[in-house]
Amino acid sequence: MKPLSRRTLLRGTGAALALPWFEAMAGKGLAAKPPIRMAALYMPNGVRPDMWTPAGEGRDFLLSPTLQPLQAFKNELIIGTNLWNQAAKGGDGHYVKMSGFLTCTTVTKTLGVDLNCNGISMDQVAAQRSGQNTPFASFELATSPVTTGVDRNVGYTRVYGSHIAWSGHSNPLAREINPRSVFERLLRATRPAGNVVKQDLQLLDLVLDDAKQLRSKLGTADQVRMDEYLSVVRSLEDRLQRSASPTQANWKPRVPLDLAARPEAQPKDFAEHVRLMLDMMALAFQTDSTRIATFMFNNEVSNQNFTFVDGVKGAHHSISHHMDDAEQMRQYQLINRWHIEQYAYLLSKLQAMCEGESNVLHNSMILLGAGFRDGNKHDPHNLPVVLAGRAGGRLNTGQHLIYGPDSPLSNLYVSMLDAFGTPVERFADSTGPARGVLA
Amino acid sequence: MLKFLLFLAPVAFAADPFTFGEAQSLLRSNCQKCHSGKGALGGFDMTQFPDEQSVIARSKLWNRVANRVREGDMPPPGSPAVSMVDREKFSGWVTTKLHAAACADGITPPPFPLRRLNRNEYTATVRDLLNIPVNAGRNLPADGAGGEGFDNAAETLFLSPIHAEKYLEAAKIALDYAMRDPKSRAAFLTKEPDARATLTALLPRAFRRPVDQAEIDRYIALFDAAQQRGDSYDDSISYAIQGVLLSPHFLFRLENSTHDFALASRLSYFLWGGMPDAELLKLAGENKLSDPAVLSAQAIRLLKDQKSTEFAENFVGQWLSIRELGRDIKPDPKVSPEYYDAEIQSGMLYEPALFFQEVLMQNEPLTHLLDAPYSVVSNKLARFYNIPSKDLRQQPKRFDMPAGSHRGGLLTMAAVLAVSSYPARTSPVLRGKWILESLLGTPPPPPPPDVPELKEHAGATPQTLRARLEQHRANPTCAGCHNRIDPLGFGLENYDSLGRWRETEAGQPIDASGLLPDGTAYKGPVELKQVLLAKKTQVFQNLTRKLLGYALGRGLTAEDDCAVDQIVAAVERDGYRAHTLITEMVRSIPFRQESKR
Repeated sequence: MKPLSRRTLLRGTGAALALPWFEAMAGKGLAAKPPIRMAALYMPNGVRPDMWTPAGEGRDFLLSPTLQPLQAFKNELIIGTNLWNQAAKGGDGHYVKMSGFLTCTTVTKTLGVDLNCNGISMDQVAAQRSGQNTPFASFELATSPVTTGVDRNVGYTRVYGSHIAWSGHSNPLAREINPRSVFERLLRATRPAGNVVKQDLQLLDLVLDDAKQLRSKLGTADQVRMDEYLSVVRSLEDRLQRSASPTQANWKPRVPLDLAARPEAQPKDFAEHVRLMLDMMALAFQTDSTRIATFMFNNEVSNQNFTFVDGVKGAHHSISHHMDDAEQMRQYQLINRWHIEQYAYLLSKLQAMCEGESNVLHNSMILLGAGFRDGNKHDPHNLPVVLAGRAGGRLNTGQHLIYGPDSPLSNLYVSMLDAFGTPVERFADSTGPARGVLA
Repeated sequence: MLKFLLFLAPVAFAADPFTFGEAQSLLRSNCQKCHSGKGALGGFDMTQFPDEQSVIARSKLWNRVANRVREGDMPPPGSPAVSMVDREKFSGWVTTKLHAAACADGITPPPFPLRRLNRNEYTATVRDLLNIPVNAGRNLPADGAGGEGFDNAAETLFLSPIHAEKYLEAAKIALDYAMRDPKSRAAFLTKEPDARATLTALLPRAFRRPVDQAEIDRYIALFDAAQQRGDSYDDSISYAIQGVLLSPHFLFRLENSTHDFALASRLSYFLWGGMPDAELLKLAGENKLSDPAVLSAQAIRLLKDQKSTEFAENFVGQWLSIRELGRDIKPDPKVSPEYYDAEIQSGMLYEPALFFQEVLMQNEPLTHLLDAPYSVVSNKLARFYNIPSKDLRQQPKRFDMPAGSHRGGLLTMAAVLAVSSYPARTSPVLRGKWILESLLGTPPPPPPPDVPELKEHAGATPQTLRARLEQHRANPTCAGCHNRIDPLGFGLENYDSLGRWRETEAGQPIDASGLLPDGTAYKGPVELKQVLLAKKTQVFQNLTRKLLGYALGRGLTAEDDCAVDQIVAAVERDGYRAHTLITEMVRSIPFRQESKR
């Protein structure tokens, strides 16, 4: 077993003295088989198609210009070609494709009434079956608040363009965009439960009682809203109960939370914001505060200004409509590549987190993708999709897998859910596991 | 009746609707193959609708049909295309018929749907309840928008597990502050140290309705529990109030109390974005608030209170998309460093809301929204506009524009001009689209699939942007919409991407003339405002729809649109006075939730 680094050890000492349960430091916790983690990173506005797909197939492939920043991780990757999400082929250019990315369903066209994604996202399928093992069932992270307004041109509420995680048909999951808040949540979760938790539970008890009484007096439509409230309060109650109960407190942080990693509340710019959110995801995985996370680089149709990248002179969505203009396409690819660099940053971060004889990346599977390929045409075919990490050895990485044209993306999700330990027979329009993914 | 007919479906820039026969013939030649008989796709069997009455009977279905045709979803790709004009004539026929039918038999308002307080409402309510100057909802997730485009729409105020966690955290932060602040203590711990008396005074305010003893007892039990574990009085009462702040009676807008209390909340969340005050609750308790005269007077009282800034900011920020500035749309710091001056930025962002509030508070004519001899600006913003500012300070205030100024009215405000630009340059297309959508309420349909956005990028060709746009409009696929969009945007080309005046761009003099599809020719922003003033009925109809959607916190139905007609008619009769818009709004059937007037 690799020992923890001296730096981590030093940082952890104070906490370890204060908190006797951090026997993990002595190696006790780490001896247990490391858990598998799963994340999905979403890029808005598609990719430049001719610079994405690697040359070659199987183990013998060369990374494309856009994927070049992943060179150091080539053996940890599975790149899928020709996958698509059939259910999102119609509708508008963006909203249907983003909100259906992890659900593989068609969202209901609406400005708000009947908000419905008609499915559950694959991360939440996993979370609903394994979330009780960690303080947080899942993390939903992003950098921008939900986009304001409704899009009257195409007839969709922009709520659809701001959510990829859906815990129920009408339940998009709100995202955390403040890195400091994520850290505070990790801090609270990794601290031992004190009397405060008992007091909080008593409050929640009363509140649940109020809600139940109230529910009986409401009409059917309003009852659905009250059920939502009951369900979110219960999920908090459940978490607090688990942390407070001596018999159920079987969860421990795998390593103490690195207090020096407390981020700024206000990142200075977009690039730093992305990195801090990815740092928080890495910390959450390292401490085992959650095993499932989604991250949205930005909301769909984002017109984030990318002039901070050398050679880029404009904003993301505008440039994605490159009209086959060579100069616009050049800038588009630079933006795509920047996203891959951030992905590589996360991978290296996870890889540097030792875990017994392996590392957190080895025990993870980190998906990165977009809801369509060429942003200029909102092309739903052959989605850009990469998976990194070996899920503890369950994934057959180091491959470029080329499937038949228009193969279901959902097949990849079936394989991932299997590797995660929450296998499903079918997911949305899946026809079976994706060939070649599982080891 | 004739008057109402004139209001039916916005007509400017849109073709006259089909007759029943014309609509039938469009359906027969384009839809029949998939949509007739048994197994008709999408559950839409056109053979079931032999006459207009059968169409009216299935209004929900037909609204969907109209929208899908209008937006170009139907006929689907691969089928012969239907021209945009025909699509609009067809959807115009459906909406006109349904509208007339819905209004013919009086308005029955749908129930007021249950919804939680949104983040802003939560913050304002906690602030007023505990009298604390703290943004308690700061860490809550932002809310998305639904319905008419506002984040108070019941349909999109969903809850995620993170909300429960944040509500608990926020309640603690708020009470922690409140207990330490003498001003706050004096406001809500009035009966100290009598916990029962304190909670008896607090709960009806927190829940915005009368409460009974049994309810109070539940929170007394929390206080007692804290006392029993040895907590101080302060900690115990604070603990009990944390329970109050987590209760669904606090967090949700419930309308199961008496009519007058429901009305009090509806009024205060509309015009203050927060809880009703003592006067509103008192009037509700005396059952006086449902008296239309009292209701109108209260609406004007609320409007004239400074708390209406909250309403102006939330409403205008979303109606005009100004909230997107700095969030989804960020001016390029290299091209527009001035935007990053805090005082200019806040001056820009606040101007439209403060101006709107001024028009409403002072009962100015609503036509001022389109063109006014004044605005509400700070010293720095005035200098940014290059107008004399010697009487102005840092705090924005009403300011008369110099005679003959091209400024005045929402359209030429920096925030509007910036939010309808790209980060580094202007776009007549975005500005034209902004006018069609935000002011006229007729957003252009999306481009057909596989037709990319119009190329505006300055490429290698030495043409002007106008020339490139004109070239594209030679393409009939693009021309249908861009003939409407672009000519409106050209009139604002004298303003740069931050809204500052310019005479030239890249060394070329600016041509700010536009030729509208109806043949109207105009030149520059001053004449563009006249063009819009000539369409003021349409503008105010759109404003009224937006405002009613905001006031009700939901998407509007066909019957709500009848109420919109009535409100607009009353506003016109009254010479467009701003107060009339608000009083008619709160007296409308959907707002009062009373059937048939």
